[in-house]
Amino acid sequence: MPGPCLIDDYLAGLAAELPAPIVEELADGLDETYRCYLGQGLDPAAASQAAVAEFGEPRVIVAAFTDASGGRRTARRLLAAGPAVGLCWAVVLITARAWQWPVPLAARVLFGVALITVIGLLAVAVLGRRYRRVCRAAATACAGTAILDAAMIGTVLVTAPALAWPVAVAVVLSAGRSGFALRNVHHALTG
Amino acid sequence: MLLPMRAEELKGHLDALLLAALENGPQHGYAVMEALRHSTGGRLDLPTGTIYPALHRLEASGLIAGSWSVATGRRRRLYQLTAAGARALSGKRADWRDFAAMMSTALEGRPCPGPA
Repeated sequence: MPGPCLIDDYLAGLAAELPAPIVEELADGLDETYRCYLGQGLDPAAASQAAVAEFGEPRVIVAAFTDASGGRRTARRLLAAGPAVGLCWAVVLITARAWQWPVPLAARVLFGVALITVIGLLAVAVLGRRYRRVCRAAATACAGTAILDAAMIGTVLVTAPALAWPVAVAVVLSAGRSGFALRNVHHALTG
Repeated sequence: MLLPMRAEELKGHLDALLLAALENGPQHGYAVMEALRHSTGGRLDLPTGTIYPALHRLEASGLIAGSWSVATGRRRRLYQLTAAGARALSGKRADWRDFAAMMSTALEGRPCPGPA
């Protein structure tokens, strides 16, 4: 039967990109559309072609779901908060002459690499077109952000010679961002 | 002859249309699309598949609530307006009235009715 076969292929294409509950919902809508065309007198092949055409191109649907995903929303918020939190930490590090702190070079390099990796993952989550890749990148970036914030807070509290108000502001902002990131790891992963 | 409304023309207004479609009670995605077609006199020219991500976005914003139900032996996701969604719809209607009045004044030289 050519009709349902075309619909099955269409849904299989969506299932390769989107989570099962979303595909189940789309399958229900596509079935309704197909039945509607059958009710108008079309044969199964024509009805399935009309239903698939009415539903739209799979890449457009996947792109719209990717844009609406929890991973992308979370990544956008983390990227938007990044410059403000980063600026606070920059003020803290410069005013406290952080280059004189007894932090091993390897730890500094590791932190820098981790920071660039998290920013890269956030960029993938904001700009990517593949639903699953976007969600995985966002979830990993959430975890990475929380770890980086914890590392910064821990390092400053242990190493900084004197705590001033810029440190308090940076710690509060970083702790808030870290909490947001941790709360949204699962949300980002599940879309 | 009335031309179909395309996605780019609906940009910014689709959320209000979806909220309005759900105003009379819970609907599943396809029924929402049918309600939109009915309310726009069949001029809506959107791929049906793109309605679903828009519904998911509204659900994530807390303006509608989605739940699974079982109908005729298969699972179906239903959406209904939340209290926040009803407030948002009311606000969007008021914004649209102001916008439409302003555009009518600017484009057709009609007297501006002023704020409602």
